[in-house]
Amino acid sequence: MENRKKELDKNLFRPADRTEEQSDVMARKSTTLLQDAVRSLRKNVFFMISLVLLLIIVLMSIFAPVASDYTYKEQDLNRSLMGPRIPVLENISFLGLDGTQTKTFNGNNVQAAEMKAKMQFDNQEDFITFETVNEGDGSRNSAEVKATYDKYAAKGVEDEYFYFGTDRLGRDVWTRVWDGTRVSLLIAVAAALIDLVIGVAYGGIAAYYGGRVDNYMMRFLEVIIGIPNLVVVILMILILDPGIWAIIIALTITGWTSMARIVRGEVLKLKGHEFVLAARTLGAPNRKIIARHLVPNVMGLIIVNTMFSIPSAIFFEAFLSFIGLGLPSPAASLGTLINDGFKTLLTTPTLLVFPAVIISVLMIVFNILGDGLRDAFDPKMRK
Amino acid sequence: MRKSNWLLLALVLVLSSFLAACSGGSNSSGGSGGGEGSGDSASGSANGDQVYNLTIGDEIPSMDSSLADDQYGIQWTSEIQEGLYRLAEDGSLAEGIATGDPEVSEDGLTWTFTLREDAEWENGDPVTANDFVYAWQRAINPDTGSEYGPYMMGGVIKNATAVNTGEAELDELGVKAVDDYTLEVQLEKPVPYFESLTTFPTFMPLNQKFVEEQGENYALEADNLLSNGPFKMTEWNHGSTMQFVKNDTYWDADTVQLEEINLQVVKDTATGVNLYDTGAVDRTSLTAEFVDQRINDEDYLPVPDMASWYLKLNQNRMGEETPLANENARKAVAQAIDKDGLVNVVLNNGSTVSNGLMPKDFVKGPDGKDFRETNGDLLTYDAEAAKEAWATAKEELGQDEITLEILTGDTDLSTQMVDYLKEQLETNLEGLTVDVMQVPFQQRLDLDTAGDFDIEVSGWGPDYIDPYTFMNLFVTDGENNRMAYSSEEYDSLVEQASTDNATNPEARWQNFLDAEKVLLEDAAIAPLYQAGYSYLQSPKLQGVFSNPAGNDFEYKWAYADNAAAEE
Amino acid sequence: MARYIGQRVIYMIITLFLIATISFVLMKLLPGSPLANADKLTEAQQEVIFEKYGLNDPIPVQYVNYLGGLIQGDLGISFKYDNRGVSDILADRIGPSAQLGIQALIIGTVLGILLGLVSAIYHNGISDYLSTIVAVLGTSIPSFVFAGLLQYFVAVKWGILPVATWNGFEYSILPTIALAIFPMATCARFMRTEMIEVLNEDYITTARAKGLAGTAIIFKHGIRNALIPLVTILGPLAVGLLTGTLVIEQIFSVPGIGEQFVTSVTSNDFPIIMGTTMFFAVVFIVMILIIDILYGLIDPRIRLSGKD
Repeated sequence: MENRKKELDKNLFRPADRTEEQSDVMARKSTTLLQDAVRSLRKNVFFMISLVLLLIIVLMSIFAPVASDYTYKEQDLNRSLMGPRIPVLENISFLGLDGTQTKTFNGNNVQAAEMKAKMQFDNQEDFITFETVNEGDGSRNSAEVKATYDKYAAKGVEDEYFYFGTDRLGRDVWTRVWDGTRVSLLIAVAAALIDLVIGVAYGGIAAYYGGRVDNYMMRFLEVIIGIPNLVVVILMILILDPGIWAIIIALTITGWTSMARIVRGEVLKLKGHEFVLAARTLGAPNRKIIARHLVPNVMGLIIVNTMFSIPSAIFFEAFLSFIGLGLPSPAASLGTLINDGFKTLLTTPTLLVFPAVIISVLMIVFNILGDGLRDAFDPKMRK
Repeated sequence: MRKSNWLLLALVLVLSSFLAACSGGSNSSGGSGGGEGSGDSASGSANGDQVYNLTIGDEIPSMDSSLADDQYGIQWTSEIQEGLYRLAEDGSLAEGIATGDPEVSEDGLTWTFTLREDAEWENGDPVTANDFVYAWQRAINPDTGSEYGPYMMGGVIKNATAVNTGEAELDELGVKAVDDYTLEVQLEKPVPYFESLTTFPTFMPLNQKFVEEQGENYALEADNLLSNGPFKMTEWNHGSTMQFVKNDTYWDADTVQLEEINLQVVKDTATGVNLYDTGAVDRTSLTAEFVDQRINDEDYLPVPDMASWYLKLNQNRMGEETPLANENARKAVAQAIDKDGLVNVVLNNGSTVSNGLMPKDFVKGPDGKDFRETNGDLLTYDAEAAKEAWATAKEELGQDEITLEILTGDTDLSTQMVDYLKEQLETNLEGLTVDVMQVPFQQRLDLDTAGDFDIEVSGWGPDYIDPYTFMNLFVTDGENNRMAYSSEEYDSLVEQASTDNATNPEARWQNFLDAEKVLLEDAAIAPLYQAGYSYLQSPKLQGVFSNPAGNDFEYKWAYADNAAAEE
Repeated sequence: MARYIGQRVIYMIITLFLIATISFVLMKLLPGSPLANADKLTEAQQEVIFEKYGLNDPIPVQYVNYLGGLIQGDLGISFKYDNRGVSDILADRIGPSAQLGIQALIIGTVLGILLGLVSAIYHNGISDYLSTIVAVLGTSIPSFVFAGLLQYFVAVKWGILPVATWNGFEYSILPTIALAIFPMATCARFMRTEMIEVLNEDYITTARAKGLAGTAIIFKHGIRNALIPLVTILGPLAVGLLTGTLVIEQIFSVPGIGEQFVTSVTSNDFPIIMGTTMFFAVVFIVMILIIDILYGLIDPRIRLSGKD
């Protein structure tokens, strides 16, 4: 560095052409908070993966039920409890997605064990393949036979594919799971948006007007926050007619408070800033100050908070379904599917596995997105 | 896979030896019952520890025999207490505190029971006629708030309803102690099945001194109970475990072989099955998913329940005629449901198809034939007939699109069932839309009472063994009718059975048979299924009787055959 | 400080009064009665039983009676469990719930703090990534999914621990783990952020410049300062545990308050629902109060006053 400096000829430099007007011009195009955030998010690998995953899930939840040959409520007892079967993947045996059912049977000898297997599998001898694990010595249950039952062939539906299998009533689980995902997302997004509107309005008004209004509004808020939301949600669900709206209302009735608190705190802080004072001095009307100066500045915070309230709403919906206060049948949500799946955990675990995996992925994705956004909008938190 | 099996096996071994150690300990403290049982060759082969470990689906709501009003309360109060008679094998009556048959006056209104003199309470007091008078008065006393008191006694025992509503004094109730061992009962009308009623907990005696001493705490804990039955309650960890042991002061203690019954509250079927598989419990109930898996096991045991399930078809909803006022519409609905699919796939819990109102194996006529056998299938599944009837109905009503609302409970089973019913009805009956209304039990009853439904999934379980409990359900303006069904013929048949023919068993039986035919020819209801339960039960459980009414199982004559379980 | 606590207690009472009123009103809007066999009784017979529960009184009278009972700690009599007081039922069931809650809280926070520390100290290293993944999974995956997995593999497949019910310490292990996941993950995330922030503070740099050993810095200066703010998240953690117990007790058949509450909700046993609601509310509010006071005591930077 030092050496280089010496080598430079002073004549190469000339005074910058600084005039009064140009002193304010920025050398580089200024980036807005939003552009800045987007740029940093693009670099966040986890964020981008999550975004893609979320997009896939949303698209699947919208289009999979439409594209499916079945509906979420169409029953056929003849195809009750079929195993999952997916084209192409069915050829990879260890995935267990070929629609067959395999179980081990014990008997005093191989015949006895095979007999048990036949009885278990609808007496469809032609469609059961046996594999002797242990010949046995004639003593009680010493022989062990592994039987594989091709239920699709036995029921004469070889050309059908139930990707996730069917439930007891013969409904296609694939369709039900994606339909349920859509319902869960809908509930969560609606609840988060309502929280947003109420929370922003309440917090904004309290902070903007301040003084006595603020004081009363905050005291009221404190009392509301004191009520355990779990309890209120359950009580609300009990008195409302079961359905999507009942759950949304129950979730929003206490959900807006955190948003209100955050918005109020932020607006209070911003209100004291010089640019607001300046705008006010210049005679800008309240409406304009709120729209031009306050809203854009609290936007980041609002988005981040909403992003976190979506997974918590998804969780609460599932939780309510789990304790038996969810959507009425035959409508499905991830919660009701998980609740049903739990009862058959030991007999047909697939009914639980698929919705449980999707809800877990959704929660993870939303949490990562939320984290990413928070880091992006809050430069202090950036690594 | 292999490895995990080994682990499981090891666990089973450890657990079973642990359990054996446990039960062995308690047996030695319980007395020499085991030896006694095996010595008595006539009653079977009781061997090993006389202990049952059972599951129970929920905490027992009440052990107060006046208040017990659910299956668990009725079950276990029946084991620690004993009334005039006791239900034995196949729902027959065995002697309880009463000896011999009662003396019945000619008009059938006065019944005199002779009590045994060797019956004692746990505390040594004799069981007397006064204990019955006290218990019955307590059950009907409005301050007690008993549900079965007014239900079982109202219209049966003289002045019962008046006493319950405060219009008569307690001592005006038609029951009195002639002396310590003679009980005289006045009835309001002839009740041929009165003996069967007295097996029910509401009619069991109570030791007045003890109950009053305990006051508010009576029957709230194991210590606040006094037994006069085959067993006594020794432990009650609310919501978790309970223990009953043999009551040595019971008058027939020699017959009782079982030393100990342990109950574990298990609400979840999967948990119950796991406990059963590890040998921690000897019996557990199964739901549909597990029936699929276990139906071929040697341990699988289906037990029919006497509850009959059907659709109530409302003809007049809150003052307005429904499409179901049309007989063809009712017939269409009743025949449009594939009941085989319902019981075998949807319910799959041991329930069976029902084509009438009266359950199978509930009552036998004077001719010794089962009611169901005599009356046969009255209303079966027939999709073609249903479609035809539906077409006619639509023509007669002049409507092409009909919407009906179906009311049902909010349990998992109701949900599955109603999904199926909706699909069946909508598929088989063109132009029919079925709206599902699922509500909690209480709300369903409110809507039922108001008659605010088109179709209701409804069931009736009997509390005493007589056709009357089913056949009086649908008399005009009856408490359980609520669906605007009214048939003079049906009414008069039921009326005759409880008046003119009350003391004539043959004619009475014929009245009931005819009444059911009328009911189903009118398609007033659409029979669905007779409930049933499925259990996994260890072969060790022997001599356990299942009852058509009252307590589900009777353990007085039960014993443990541990050798059978080890085979 | 005294003024602050006094004010908070007043709010507490107002809040409890509100909850009591709301739950009373909601319960009155709902159908529900002490009758188990209403289909078998005539209306006159039903009235007789309602009388015993005071349900024939005008609603304002019932309300006053209810509030009066609450003040004396009397939560009424259960509809379903004849003659059993709600307070007795709760007392019977508090043991298992408290045991689970406390075990889970201790295990969760201790493990969480450790995970968070590891993350922060080996910032951006492999162990940081691993523990961050654990933390994200822990906060995201619903507790009932975890509980199902644990039950299926540990108890059913491998047979290591009992599947369910409550007959001794080994029965509490699986539910405790399932319940501890959420506090653990939350603590880990929080601890990581706090610790990284603390390690970047000037006084740490100073200590380092003075030549203090790495471990000494972390233990003497780092952890102590990072732990203080942890108190603030104890509130949300406690709430999470409360929600957790409802499902976890259900799954593992634990005879605790949460399991009782869910049962009562499905059977419309209103005295128990209202009683448990009040119980939860009191526990919750008192806990938050204690945490706030604690926080004020440990961190002198927070000047407690009537306003936030």
